[in-house]
Amino acid sequence: MEEEGDEGEDDEGSSPSGSESDSSSDLHIFPKSNDIISEVTGHPKRVYPEIEPEYDSDSSTEDDPNRVGNIPSHWYDDLPHVGYDINGKRVLRPAKGDELDKFLATVEDPTSWTSAWDKNTQMNKPLSPEELDIIRRLQAGENPDGGYDPYGPTVEWFTGKGKEEVMPLSAAPEPKRRWLPSKWEKQKIMKIVRAIRRGRIVGSKPKTAGDKPQLYDIWNEPPSNQPPPLPAPKPALPTHVDSYNPPEEYLPTDAERKEWENTDLEDRKYDHLPQKYSSLRLVPAYDQFIKQRFNRQLDLYLAPRIQRIRLNIDPHSLIPKLPSVSSLRPFPNYCSLKFTHGNARVRCISTSPDGAWVVSGDDGGNVNLWEVNVGREVRKWCFDGKIGAVEWCPRTDTSYFVVGTYDKLHFIVPPNLPSVILHATQSALAPAALPPATESPIKWSSSPGQEDGVILTILLPAVSGLTKQIAWHRKGDYLATVSNRESQGSVWIHQVSRRHSQAPFKKIKGAVQLVLFHPIKPHFFVATQRYVRLYNLAEQKLIKTLMPGIKWISSMDIHPSGDHVIVGGYDKKLCWFDLELNDKPYKILRYHTRAIRSLHFHPSYPLFASSSDDGTIQIFHGRTYSDLMTDPLIVPLKILRGHDLNDGLGVLQVKWVNKQPWLISAGADGNILVWCS
Amino acid sequence: MGRLKQKGKAGAAKAYMTRSAAVKKLQCSLADFRRLCILKGIFPREPRSRKKANKGSTAPTSFYYTKDIGYLAHEPVLNKLREHKAFAKKISRALGRGEWSIAKNLEDSKPTYRLDHIIKERYHTFIDAIRDIDDALCMIFLFASLPSNDRVSPSLIANCSRLAAEWQLYVMHSRSLRKVFLSIKGIYYQAEIMDQDVTWLVPYQFTQKIPSDVDVRVMLTFLELYQTLLGFVFFKLYTDAGLVYPPPLDASRDDAGAGIGAFSVHTVEKNIHISKSDNVGKTASTREVRQAIKTITADQSFVDEDVDIGSRDFAAKPSEVDEEFVVHPSGGEDAIPSLPTLQSLSETRKSTPTSLFSPYTFFLSRETSRTVFEFLLKSFGGRVGWPTSSGSGSPITESDDSITHVIVDRPVINKANESAEEKERRRKRKYVQPQWVVDCINAGKILVEDLYAQGTTLPPHLSPFGGKPGAYDPTVGLSHSEEVLAEEVPESEDGQSSEQNEVEEGVGGVVETVNVRDVDGAESLRAAELAAEAAGMEYGTFEKEVRKLQRKREKKEKAVDQDEEDMGKMLLSNKKRKLYERMKYGEKRRAAERETLQRRRREIDRKRPGSD
Repeated sequence: MEEEGDEGEDDEGSSPSGSESDSSSDLHIFPKSNDIISEVTGHPKRVYPEIEPEYDSDSSTEDDPNRVGNIPSHWYDDLPHVGYDINGKRVLRPAKGDELDKFLATVEDPTSWTSAWDKNTQMNKPLSPEELDIIRRLQAGENPDGGYDPYGPTVEWFTGKGKEEVMPLSAAPEPKRRWLPSKWEKQKIMKIVRAIRRGRIVGSKPKTAGDKPQLYDIWNEPPSNQPPPLPAPKPALPTHVDSYNPPEEYLPTDAERKEWENTDLEDRKYDHLPQKYSSLRLVPAYDQFIKQRFNRQLDLYLAPRIQRIRLNIDPHSLIPKLPSVSSLRPFPNYCSLKFTHGNARVRCISTSPDGAWVVSGDDGGNVNLWEVNVGREVRKWCFDGKIGAVEWCPRTDTSYFVVGTYDKLHFIVPPNLPSVILHATQSALAPAALPPATESPIKWSSSPGQEDGVILTILLPAVSGLTKQIAWHRKGDYLATVSNRESQGSVWIHQVSRRHSQAPFKKIKGAVQLVLFHPIKPHFFVATQRYVRLYNLAEQKLIKTLMPGIKWISSMDIHPSGDHVIVGGYDKKLCWFDLELNDKPYKILRYHTRAIRSLHFHPSYPLFASSSDDGTIQIFHGRTYSDLMTDPLIVPLKILRGHDLNDGLGVLQVKWVNKQPWLISAGADGNILVWCS
Repeated sequence: MGRLKQKGKAGAAKAYMTRSAAVKKLQCSLADFRRLCILKGIFPREPRSRKKANKGSTAPTSFYYTKDIGYLAHEPVLNKLREHKAFAKKISRALGRGEWSIAKNLEDSKPTYRLDHIIKERYHTFIDAIRDIDDALCMIFLFASLPSNDRVSPSLIANCSRLAAEWQLYVMHSRSLRKVFLSIKGIYYQAEIMDQDVTWLVPYQFTQKIPSDVDVRVMLTFLELYQTLLGFVFFKLYTDAGLVYPPPLDASRDDAGAGIGAFSVHTVEKNIHISKSDNVGKTASTREVRQAIKTITADQSFVDEDVDIGSRDFAAKPSEVDEEFVVHPSGGEDAIPSLPTLQSLSETRKSTPTSLFSPYTFFLSRETSRTVFEFLLKSFGGRVGWPTSSGSGSPITESDDSITHVIVDRPVINKANESAEEKERRRKRKYVQPQWVVDCINAGKILVEDLYAQGTTLPPHLSPFGGKPGAYDPTVGLSHSEEVLAEEVPESEDGQSSEQNEVEEGVGGVVETVNVRDVDGAESLRAAELAAEAAGMEYGTFEKEVRKLQRKREKKEKAVDQDEEDMGKMLLSNKKRKLYERMKYGEKRRAAERETLQRRRREIDRKRPGSD
């Protein structure tokens, strides 16, 4: 109450000073305040001048000509005036310029941007400096009052010394809890105390001790019996290339530098180019240092590790020790003569049992008989269509050969035979008394008197196609033929003495590629596309199936001993089977770069040869041993090159010459080469 | 009939686990998993068949052994990481609410983990640990030279530089440095510690910047492990050598830029004090320490100070002295000659190369790196001084008369106004370039200084680690090229060996030249020579002919060999043939590389005398 009284006095006392500021008050909207020191409190205070209600108020000070009051101005929109002045006379609407005038006003009048629309006078009026000041302050987020001091000293009205309230606010008696210690608090504290005493609550450790890891001899105790983890591989040690001053020959040429820059980061052989600095002080920082350390760490924790045994051996030690090639002579190693068939592919050749003659057939239908030693053609036969197979009869008391063409087999007697042999041959092929005819789809027709030597013809069933293989039995009485029409009746076995033909298989799985008679036993090999089946002819049952693992068998031959078979395929593989051993190949050789076309064992020498579409002939030494313990010895001897490729076909057939280590090869280029030792 | 086998219940499907499956199993974030893998040294494995290991999927993932992940699941650090996750949540909540005191309490009880058990697990024996500290040392030395930033704290860098200094101190003290190589990347050092070669790489002293494509978190995790590992390794190394670990640091001297000197003197002094006061301990180590004092500390005043400090430290740690006593009870200086210990024997064996620089005193001029060359020279027993601009603590000044070598790395500048004393000094001392020090260390002997004198073109600096076997060897190439130059024979491709062959087998070649095929031996050669002379052939041309024939014959033989090899190759199995071909390919490539280098060498050599 007292203070209020003070305040009242204070206001009255300050009034004279307020009038002083009145002179400049027409500039301000708000009357100017005045800071004085209060006579009562002794603190500075702000005093505003008295405002007289009549003359000092906002509206009374302005001499506004329009006296219509605060009414909506659009009431006068249709009228020529905007209101009435104090005398009741119309206040006419001021002239309103067009848009151009407005624009010009904004350009010419510098105060136009500080003027605002006055509703009362219906025109723009410039704002006073005070109004502009208020706008500025509002924009800046300040107190609109220019004289307001936000940092004035605090005035303690109700607190502070001497202003304490003495009288209590309520008359209620003081409660007991104000002076008695709390039982519940005590219980709570005692609970904690007990927990601390019992060690259930442990105070936090002092910070300094645990800051640094304690070091001790960690390897004192024996290690665990777990196997230790493999140590990480160490990075390679630096070589001369990494030197700051390497020998000059290590410095890259411009081409190498360019190549290094053009290769990808991970493909580069070195991670930096060798560089030479004349002194250590000139060596700059290595900018990849951190990156490389980081990469090393990535390797350590992100790269899968494999333990690899580094083979530190001489590569030559991998190659098996073989007997010297020169100790395995004789074998054919040079081309002694060449017999040419023109352009036609020579598909088949055969040598006579005495080793003096060769008969060869080509795709043009020509069959040539010529001498091995000189290459002189003795006789030539022409047939229709391709010649699929030519084979001499292995009998030595007679002499003839069989030519396989489309659906036909021709038995031909060569010219200039000694009369004894000629007679024997004629009696064998065209005896005077024919054996009784048998029921067969195959016709045997003999034509003994013919000049060209074709003494006997077998007509195979009409659809059987080209005879692609003729296989003689060792004794020369039976011959098996394979036709290329891959129906069931493609294999026939013909018996010459009885003039009888029979199909050994009623049904056979797969397309038959090749057949062979076993040289000793009554066994019969049949190669289908993938497997080689061995049948016993006497018991008429399957003995075993050889699985060469070749996709398409192209050729097959049996060793003269009858225990070993080699099988070649169009997929470049050659498989050597030991029939005593296994159904799987004893050895698989891959050495030709193209399909294998033909294989042949030499009848007397331990040699065999393979020919391929890559135009080469490979001669092997293939020695077998009679005891079962020793593995056969296969030694590659020589690669013979001499045939040209023709339409992707190379050497189509190879045949050994009987009793000589000579080889005859027929190629797709129409040439037949004789290779001598 | 047995039970049906279900797919994915046995074999590779069980043994391997993809990374995402592992993270799911461990219930931790990928970052935590990565951290665990780094700490525990677990790395992905390559299953034999990815399809079988990943339930038939061939998507590119990394596989871990399921057992490895099982071990990780029991790892105490994993628990700590989970606790830390909870802690991080709590503290962020407290900070978000502005509960500062709670945050402070939480911060005080922040979960931390220790890596001792991991170190023990990963390195069963001390030797295992020594074998694997290469990477750790590289990282420590790298981080010791890095500037600190918001991710790499200054305390971490300080710790790294302390560890680096401790390592250098130990290597210097045990004289175990063997090889040094100044490469473009930095300086490779190789020390032999407990018969293990430890190689580390130190970058040149420049400010390194961590590139943006490097994940610092990974590096810091590795660094965490490495710091702990090195701490334990150094502890063991120091205590085994009878030294106090950690070596006390003189802060004032460290501030003055003494580098290793801030540590080293203290360590050595303390050790000597221990052995002296007890009159026990290893005699070999005493001797070693004395030698070290002679070399490392020359300043007597420092020594005096340090004795005091050492004694104080010694008093503070009596237990270690006891240990010393227990371990080496048969000490005493009288017993040395009669009982040579294994250590003393090994010490004598090592002594020749490690005291390489002990007769010399070196002064490092200001442009050479003091830290590097102080370490190198002191490791081999040299006394080293340096100007004050390279840091304080130099035991000798430039005017010291005992200086024998000055390591200088700037071109020669003739000073006009040199006083007589300076001239005299210049005459007495040898001014060599820094490479001399390194080459001496690698050669194991003091090399002739003239080649390395100030301002001369340096001979090439070769790697002491050598190249791969069969690679081009520049040292051999030099001698060969010299021979070639001396003989002035323009050989096109053959090496030294082929020349020798020619001399040996020349007989056969001549036999052909004179068409005497049946005769062999020296007689035929002489006969051929005589025949040639009779035919009016000069000796030079005769020789040439002989060589030409010889080469032809060799070529033929080679071709025959090649054919036989090709034949033999047919009989190889597919696998072996591929191996053979790979080996042959590598051989050929290496030979081609060697060939180009040799050719270039020859070209360079040919050019050089022409310019002279």
